[in-house]
Amino acid sequence: MTIEEQLIEYAKQGKLLAHKCTSCGHLHLSTAYYCSKCGSKGFDDNVLEGTGSVATYTIITVAPAGFEKYTPYAFVVLQVDNTDLRISGFMPNIATPDDLPVGTKAKITGFDDRGIIIEKQ
Amino acid sequence: MTFVEKVCVLGAGSTKYGKLSESIADITTQASVSAIESAKISPKDIQASYISNVFGVADKQVHLGPVLMSRLGIPEKPSLTIESACGSGSVSFREAYANVAAGFYDCLLVTGVEKVTHTGTEWTTTYFAYCSDFFYEGQAGASFPGLFASMARAYLTEFDATEEDFAAVAVKNHDNGILNPKAHMQKKITIDDVMNSAVVASPLKLFDCCPFSDGASSVILCSEKFAKENGGDYIEVIGSGRGGSPAALQGREHLTTIPSTKIAVADAYKMAGITAKDIDFAEVHDCFTIAEIVDTEDLGFFDKGQGVQAVREGRTKLNSDISINPSGGLKSKGHPIGATGVGQVVEVFDQLTGKAGARTVKDAKIGLTHNFGATGASCAVHIFQSV
Repeated sequence: MTIEEQLIEYAKQGKLLAHKCTSCGHLHLSTAYYCSKCGSKGFDDNVLEGTGSVATYTIITVAPAGFEKYTPYAFVVLQVDNTDLRISGFMPNIATPDDLPVGTKAKITGFDDRGIIIEKQ
Repeated sequence: MTFVEKVCVLGAGSTKYGKLSESIADITTQASVSAIESAKISPKDIQASYISNVFGVADKQVHLGPVLMSRLGIPEKPSLTIESACGSGSVSFREAYANVAAGFYDCLLVTGVEKVTHTGTEWTTTYFAYCSDFFYEGQAGASFPGLFASMARAYLTEFDATEEDFAAVAVKNHDNGILNPKAHMQKKITIDDVMNSAVVASPLKLFDCCPFSDGASSVILCSEKFAKENGGDYIEVIGSGRGGSPAALQGREHLTTIPSTKIAVADAYKMAGITAKDIDFAEVHDCFTIAEIVDTEDLGFFDKGQGVQAVREGRTKLNSDISINPSGGLKSKGHPIGATGVGQVVEVFDQLTGKAGARTVKDAKIGLTHNFGATGASCAVHIFQSV
């Protein structure tokens, strides 16, 4: 499996695959090939619960091709619990900003043709 | 770094920005011819060209360089195309600058171009999303308005700002763009117009967004010696900086700051031996209203979180404390993405050589251009001085 396929497989299980640098311990999303902090290449897999809170978001009404049928939907940036990591994703069933204040608890729930799926907890 | 030569901008020209009917090859050539004529040189003086373009494929023409050079009667001269999303123009300018500064060339043509409006809003939105970190962003339905809307939401959450404050940026830039005959959107708008326009990606509305534009811009970049011996009016490049940021927003330490801007401008100020206080006016990357506020903070004109207050107080209007986007910016002048960074240099050239007409920044001596790609994943800043 490629690096992206591994991340996708974990996302389908509601998990987030992270890479922890074996040299300095810095945590990255698993698509990192080198540590951005110390430049080392060795990583240990860290499987995180895909839970967190909404760091920021937008509700999209003018969508790219293929996403028109989903509007309105949210694109969210999730602050992953107990880490400095954030992960972006598609959030269905969101119509107004009141539905999704910053800080709302949310989690990864899957992956499909809408990318990584994040839903409110 | 050792620089052999002082580098100057000797001539500059643009097509009108907007929905254009001519082909990408035509507008690329038109802008280049206007720069050559502005510089009072012959095409034979040009040693090479740097072309910036992102979506040539949308108008069935990539490998634009040889097409341009053939039309200019210099098919034997080398060319290359540079892509760095919406920052392509300034990155191309930077590469040309480095080559002249190093003494490798004396006279270069730098032309930026984009031709996309014929593809329609849905496909232009789609193509632009390919400039994101697609695995994490475009693939999850993020449009470019959506990514900047995410920054806007973070800014509203973190600082004392309102959507009306964002709207004031659009109103100001349209006021400037009305004075620019080549601007795409020559239309006065009000705060209410912005607030009542359709939501594109909350909290950003249609009039918070720059338009999709076609257009081309071109400059002649040369050594000081060449400028003095050969041409007409010229200005000097006194600072050049580049920087990078994590490609996806999620990787940024702060969601309301663009790291590449801070890195690039620090380099440019250092090279020029000046600070933000010395800048008389700036053309900054206002692809969305929130972007201009973030830019003016990252460039050091205002403290973090104070950019919005400056707009509220009118301190960035034409001929106020610091004139931001006298051309009308991307918001009003338009945003043909491969051309934008070069078009900013055209505006600075016009301003510093007395060709800016009704939008002239009075007594301006030093101008800055700031142009980035995508959500600021790549950035170049240049500083210019009149001679």
